[in-house]
Amino acid sequence: MNPGFLSPSQLAPLLLAATEGGDRAAVFMVVSHPDPKQLGGRVLFCGGEATGSFQDSRAHARATTLAKRAISGDLSVLPGLQTLPLEGAGEILAYLELHHPSPELVIVGAGHIAQPMCTLGALLGLRVRVLDDRPGFATRERFPEAHDLHSVDFSDPFAGVTLHPWSHLVLVTRGHRYDYECLRKVLMRSPLPGYIGMISSRRRARATFDALRQEGIEPELLLKVHTPIGLDIGAQTPAEIAVSVAAEIVHLWRGGSCRPLQETEGVLERTFGQEGP
Amino acid sequence: MTSEDLAVYRGILEAGRAGRLCALATVVATRGSTPRKNGAKMLVDPAEGLVGTVGGGCGEAQVINAAKEALETGLPRMIRVDLTDDPLSWSGAICGGVLEVFVEPVFPFGQ
Repeated sequence: MNPGFLSPSQLAPLLLAATEGGDRAAVFMVVSHPDPKQLGGRVLFCGGEATGSFQDSRAHARATTLAKRAISGDLSVLPGLQTLPLEGAGEILAYLELHHPSPELVIVGAGHIAQPMCTLGALLGLRVRVLDDRPGFATRERFPEAHDLHSVDFSDPFAGVTLHPWSHLVLVTRGHRYDYECLRKVLMRSPLPGYIGMISSRRRARATFDALRQEGIEPELLLKVHTPIGLDIGAQTPAEIAVSVAAEIVHLWRGGSCRPLQETEGVLERTFGQEGP
Repeated sequence: MTSEDLAVYRGILEAGRAGRLCALATVVATRGSTPRKNGAKMLVDPAEGLVGTVGGGCGEAQVINAAKEALETGLPRMIRVDLTDDPLSWSGAICGGVLEVFVEPVFPFGQ
């Protein structure tokens, strides 16, 4: 491998430090090259700078452009194989990988739903933070999997709590008025969390939107609010509600139709025809 | 960073610090129905076992064999994992798609 490239073990600490520091990062990994000795070489792009080099100005320039676009959220440059033409003849095939800061789950209200929600969030690999204003609720005993426990005042719940586009906010306090107050406060922040969900009945959800509109909150902001929270799987118990919310969060990342796969794949129709068995 | 990528990169870091040679498999392209998509990774650490997955039973054994080979030869290569066997064969490789996986040795830092 040419000395410009990073090896995987040189890349790992740099990449981990970048994403822990809240940066997005792009990595190119060479998977095909006229010189087989260069296979597996990496170049890291982060904060407008490259660490490592393709040692070919044309390939490096092309990679720099692609990395910048990918990092800025340009959806025409997605993770996957990219062709990087070399100065002379030939080209490099490199796999582009995009990394975000670690996603987190911020649960406001440390009650019944918060506990299974915390477990599921940790299971999904989210960094979980639990906030409550009551002593004895956001405790280590009740939330063994949580990364952070915060005691807050709901009149200013996010003081000292950073939220970013990789934050998933779940409002499940003991009272609708606290949920509403927290929602109103978060909508005034920038950047917004990537997901904002608030537990609610259908009626309350309508009343919430009416109240927020009266306060002059922009309609585009209201579209970011998921209330009532979760997917419709008929959830009733706190654990079931947590599953429904977790499913909504996964859906946000991965897309998908939210319909049973058996239905979307048309397995029964294909087997039995339109009339069914 | 996804929790899986985090675990794999931390695994590389730890193995590197301990001076162990590992192998890394990365799914770089897929076609058809495959259990994992682009970017899925699996670290094969002879001392610690597997970190991450490129798709469980379906074809993973083939990737593990390629990883062992990479550990022996010290050379990276691309392998194709074909999961398009007859669905009634119960072979485990019936997902219906094809994975392109880059398998490479990961040398401890500085080597």
